[in-house]
Amino acid sequence: MRRALSLQTRLLWAASLALAAFLGATGYALDLAFKRSALQAMRDRMQSYVWAYLSGSDINVGGSLILPDIPPEPRFERPQSGLYAGVVGPGIEWRSASALGRQLPFDLRLEPGRTQFDGPIETNVGGVYRFAQGVAWEMTNGKEVQLTFFVAEHEAVLKRQITVYRRTLFAHLGTSALMLLLVQLLMLRWSLRPLRQVTSDLARVERGERDALPDRYPRELSPLTSSINDIIADEREQRLRYRNTLGDLAHSLKTPLAVIRGQLEQSGPDSATQRTIAEQVRRMDELVAYQLARAAASGHAPFAAPIEIEKHAEAIVSGLEKVYAGRGILCEFEIDPQARFYGETGDLLELLGNLLENAFKWAKGRVVLQATRIHPPGTRRPGLDLCVDDDGPGIPADKVDALLKRGVRGDERVQGHGIGLAIVQDIVRSYRGTLSVEPSPELGGARFHVRFEATR
Amino acid sequence: MRILLVEDEAPLRETLAARLKREGYAVDTACDGEEAIFLGKEVPFDVAIIDLGLPKMTGLELIQKLRGMGQKYPILILTARSSWQDKVEGLKTGADDYLVKPFHVEELLARINALMRRATGWSKPQLECGPIELDTTAQTVAVSGNSVELTTYEYKVLEYLMLHAGELVSKADLTEHIYQQDFDRDSNVLEVFIGRLRRKLDPDTTLKPIETVRGRGYRFAIPRTN
Repeated sequence: MRRALSLQTRLLWAASLALAAFLGATGYALDLAFKRSALQAMRDRMQSYVWAYLSGSDINVGGSLILPDIPPEPRFERPQSGLYAGVVGPGIEWRSASALGRQLPFDLRLEPGRTQFDGPIETNVGGVYRFAQGVAWEMTNGKEVQLTFFVAEHEAVLKRQITVYRRTLFAHLGTSALMLLLVQLLMLRWSLRPLRQVTSDLARVERGERDALPDRYPRELSPLTSSINDIIADEREQRLRYRNTLGDLAHSLKTPLAVIRGQLEQSGPDSATQRTIAEQVRRMDELVAYQLARAAASGHAPFAAPIEIEKHAEAIVSGLEKVYAGRGILCEFEIDPQARFYGETGDLLELLGNLLENAFKWAKGRVVLQATRIHPPGTRRPGLDLCVDDDGPGIPADKVDALLKRGVRGDERVQGHGIGLAIVQDIVRSYRGTLSVEPSPELGGARFHVRFEATR
Repeated sequence: MRILLVEDEAPLRETLAARLKREGYAVDTACDGEEAIFLGKEVPFDVAIIDLGLPKMTGLELIQKLRGMGQKYPILILTARSSWQDKVEGLKTGADDYLVKPFHVEELLARINALMRRATGWSKPQLECGPIELDTTAQTVAVSGNSVELTTYEYKVLEYLMLHAGELVSKADLTEHIYQQDFDRDSNVLEVFIGRLRRKLDPDTTLKPIETVRGRGYRFAIPRTN
């Protein structure tokens, strides 16, 4: 299944899309409004030119039109200025100096008092905007002449205005969009920070660097985090209670067994009944020991603290050296200082204790404990590789399977590598590790090899 | 050999004590830590057997207190909890060996023997001083390969002397480590035992294994071979 998008990506995408739509619409509206007002301004300007021409013009006695000597705008006189004027009427055809050689669309005949503004109209010099006004001119002889005044302006002027406006507009809009995005990103990071904090605190709890999540999250998150804390505390407490109960149970079961055994051994010569009872007591004892150890092994725990190997191995070996002092066994460590066991201290002690005691039992003179950290890239929690080697007689390859199988059942007669190995197997399995028995490459005896892979 | 046995479970304590006495040990029993501390102050023990699950004061606390009082004799712990955590803690606190309940008494006897031997510097269960060899496992004595018949008390006296071979052992030490408390310490029974031992081990008085240090005690004079 594909992983859902992260909260930050979601928020960022949503906000960016909204921002883009909003800024786009704003830009479009502003552009449209500006274009309209620019056109309106152009029309007003052209209208004022027409009025200026009207007020400055006259018709002489001969009936010909006389336009003002000085145009309302010097550009009417300058050729190719882009601003043109013209008057058309019956028998009258006038163009401003600037219109020389240009074919301008001065071909409308408008009723007096009417105006028309349109464009851009394609001409031989490019698109132009045109303003036309119809005028009725009263001659001295009382006759009326209908004239149409034209002003045309090249579209380049308007285009330039619009381009400049657009450039400014987009520069401003773009800058503010960037600023907004940046602010948004900061806001997001700031608002999501408690969530990231929870994640990293939880990871710390998982690594065992803290006991619980701290009490410093925002109101919205604290129900969640306090629930997580409750679960963690519950789990730990339950495990502890469970172990204590089991310990008490062991004590209350085993002391009576010891009494029975003591009595049996003390009372006179062996009878068949006595031997049967003794045998059954022994079996009960082994079963109790095995099942209790099995139940006490807490197994893979997500919130287990990392435990250093060396300190615990040292404690066990100094104990074993006392117990096996007569044997003069030399135990060496090759322990990676970064090697850690992720689990219960009790389980590690059980694991090392049983394997090392076995090795001490069988060794002629040397025992080696190796612990290596397994930490391939991309893994969250490193694994552990443990080897316990001895220079004893070793275990033939064809006996290994039987040995391991016997260990698992626990209810059969076990000797030598007894209940201890069964317990080791159970612990290894509960932590999803593997146990193998090989010949020791250096010491020549047996090697018990336990491996816990790293978790992603 | 004087043993301190601390066990709160009366039937187990009594069977064990009876068995140990039959094996020729002097046994003092205590049912809790306070009693054990009291005995520990008064009596010079050779070994202590302590159950970890005691009332009032745990076995571990008791071991700590005994060690704190300067008692150096070996301690064997009995525990119903077979977990390594308990074993390691016990051994770290000052115990020298452990036995998980239920156990065979033979196993316990073998461990006690080994502990006492080790505490006096012997590494093998066979104590050899010149031609005299004492096997602590089989509880037999041989001189130049010929076995010598000894009574339990004679054996215990010889074992104690040989364990401390070369050291001066006072009469008080011997009586305290070998006999039960109710024994009359002023009698000359000890001298009688020593005399019998000398005759049995060295009929023609050539070896002179046991020296009398006048007014102070005895010393096993033949140096250790192993």
